[in-house]
Amino acid sequence: MNRRTVIKNLALIIGGAALLPSCMQEKGKASIGLKNINIDADQEKLIGDMAETIIPKTTTPGAKDLQLHLFVLKMVDDCCTKKDQQDFITGMGQFTDLVKKQNNRSFSECDQKQREQILLAIDKDRKDAKSTAYPPELKTFYNLVKGQTVNGYTTSKYFMTKQVVYELVPGRYNAFYPVKKQAV
Amino acid sequence: MANLNIDSVKERTFDAIVIGSGMSGGWAAKEFTDKGYKTLILERGRDVKHIKDYPTTNMYPWEFEHRGEMPMAVQEANPIVNRCYAFHEDAAHFFVKDKEHPYVQDKPFDWIRGYQVGGKSLLWARQTQRWSDFDFEGPARDGFAVDWPIRYADIAPWYSYVEKFAGISGNKDGLAELPDGEFLPAFPLNSVEQYFSKHVKGKYNRHVISARCAHLSKPNQIHLDQGRAQCQERILCQRGCPFGGYFSANASTIPWALKSGNLTLRPHSVVQSIIYDEAKGKATGVRIIDTNTKEAIEYYAKVIFVNAAAMNTNLVLLNSTSHRFPNGLGNDSGVLGKYVAFHNYSAHMSAEYDGMLEWTTDGRNPAGGGYIPRFRNLHKQETNFLRGYAAGFSAYRRHNRSWDGVGSSLKENLAKNDLGVWSVGSHMMGETIPKEASYVKLDDKLKDDWGVPLLKISMDYDDNDAKMKKDYIEQLTEMFTSAGFTNIKAESDQRAPGLDIHEMGGARMGNDPKTSVLNKWNQLHAVNNVFVTDGACMTSTSCQNPSLTYMALTARAVDHAVSEMKKGNIA
Repeated sequence: MNRRTVIKNLALIIGGAALLPSCMQEKGKASIGLKNINIDADQEKLIGDMAETIIPKTTTPGAKDLQLHLFVLKMVDDCCTKKDQQDFITGMGQFTDLVKKQNNRSFSECDQKQREQILLAIDKDRKDAKSTAYPPELKTFYNLVKGQTVNGYTTSKYFMTKQVVYELVPGRYNAFYPVKKQAV
Repeated sequence: MANLNIDSVKERTFDAIVIGSGMSGGWAAKEFTDKGYKTLILERGRDVKHIKDYPTTNMYPWEFEHRGEMPMAVQEANPIVNRCYAFHEDAAHFFVKDKEHPYVQDKPFDWIRGYQVGGKSLLWARQTQRWSDFDFEGPARDGFAVDWPIRYADIAPWYSYVEKFAGISGNKDGLAELPDGEFLPAFPLNSVEQYFSKHVKGKYNRHVISARCAHLSKPNQIHLDQGRAQCQERILCQRGCPFGGYFSANASTIPWALKSGNLTLRPHSVVQSIIYDEAKGKATGVRIIDTNTKEAIEYYAKVIFVNAAAMNTNLVLLNSTSHRFPNGLGNDSGVLGKYVAFHNYSAHMSAEYDGMLEWTTDGRNPAGGGYIPRFRNLHKQETNFLRGYAAGFSAYRRHNRSWDGVGSSLKENLAKNDLGVWSVGSHMMGETIPKEASYVKLDDKLKDDWGVPLLKISMDYDDNDAKMKKDYIEQLTEMFTSAGFTNIKAESDQRAPGLDIHEMGGARMGNDPKTSVLNKWNQLHAVNNVFVTDGACMTSTSCQNPSLTYMALTARAVDHAVSEMKKGNIA
């Protein structure tokens, strides 16, 4: 076991890789085991920051609290085609470069408002299938991060027990249910 | 030694053997054991015990590693079963994976299978409609296949018989084309489904009824006696239901038969062939391979029911050759394996409706919504295609929970409680015509791990199906339009036959032994102690979901077999 692994394991024990200071995570590996894609700690941090921008911590938990970035990585690793996985990696590089070029700093160095603006611009553009404002791989990358962050959020235990409550056993079907009864 | 041998044969001898433990096999076992007959069920797959073997049944969405989605490696390794609508993380363990049990597609055919105790009865969509004489008289009236040897009056009491036990919810709608049954209370139509129902009744004299389904909306004593309880509207049926809220062999017929003390259930038993005794002129038993030990074993019985599911029943019969039946058991006519058919599910519709906005629904509807019985070519031929289609119809409201944007506003949007307009949907269920050119047969060379030839399957859509699909889209579009629905979209997909999971025929019933395999009692014309009561027996397909008819035919056939045994005609 090398020093880095020891530190990492220790970090996991004391409260999760997400809490690691960035200097220690540099050039490290992703904090979860991945079979098909290679993600280093910086890239994991980028996905984490993107996910947190998409679902920020407010008065309620955000992406990092719910480890949604790890869910994104798991889904890309397990449930995507090879092509989408390649595009994900390529698109991540394109995204990283684009952000640097446009903002003179990395995504992680941007403040919350800048981060939101960067993602919102892509989010709006992707509705236009013909748009060439962003390379296709970058769009795939963004769509996967966005889609799986929201998927992970809306299917999380937190969301399904505290936000939109999922009933495993409804025990009823009311075919005519007045809308007024709904809490708005 | 000799005594041991005699004992061993005795231990392997039963009154009845049932091949297959699914929808119809479970019923055969229940009926025989109820009447006091020692019965052996042979099931090629593993045992699935009610509740105990439903590993995902009480899991919350977030407890699934991929939230339901199948990993890409599994999807890519299983292009066929992956096309099935229910092949997801919560139920994948009940489906046969492509490579486990290969077959040969002379034409593309998505063969969806469940090799386990209970078979596909664990996984079915639970829709149950009776046939009427419009269906049984179809082939004779319209000049295809052969005449059914039975009419509605022959099967009506048996529909009642199985409905009471299985538990079918529905309304007495009084429709000649979809006879009423022994119903538990229906799951009601919602506001838009009811609106559409009234609209098409008034304008077209067509019907949209509460879908009839095998759910215990209000259980009777007979259901409680089975250990089943009221349906809890979970709609997680494909996982297996811990309440026994829907009918499956696992929750109903098989535990019931086991309780009688007369049933021996033998999983891991692949049937190789049925043994025909030339001297006695009857079948005497079944050869199996134990899939764990690879041992070949013979079991013996006075009567044999073949309920291996339509395609595999054909396989078993075709592979049961003898001097007397060189082309498959009971195949004097040469039609065994031919005239197979399916249901055409390849079109669906969607639209929106911005009325009834004061209503929504609460909870979930196990019936899935409404059902449109066949209205085409009912009383007479009136279109440029033969037969017709039924259709599903359902309406639902979703919340306006946009995934657009990022940040705290997105978070708020995702938890919004305001409702969108109504979405409505429909799918077609079309009858297809059995043809001689549609067949299953044994592959000449390829065999499975147990030495059984692989099945070759060849069936396809034809011009009649294309015309019928066009008509479905036209009619539903018109009905939707006149009901004031908007954003109407018709989608036609290129699915292969099989994905409907309603494959039928190959050992069809008929009056004439020269053109059919089974008589009016589902009994081989040529071997009176072998019965086929699963989908293989179907002379035509009509457009109802078929399982209820298999159940009724099975109970009826067992009753006949038992009366023949009592008379000494089957011994």
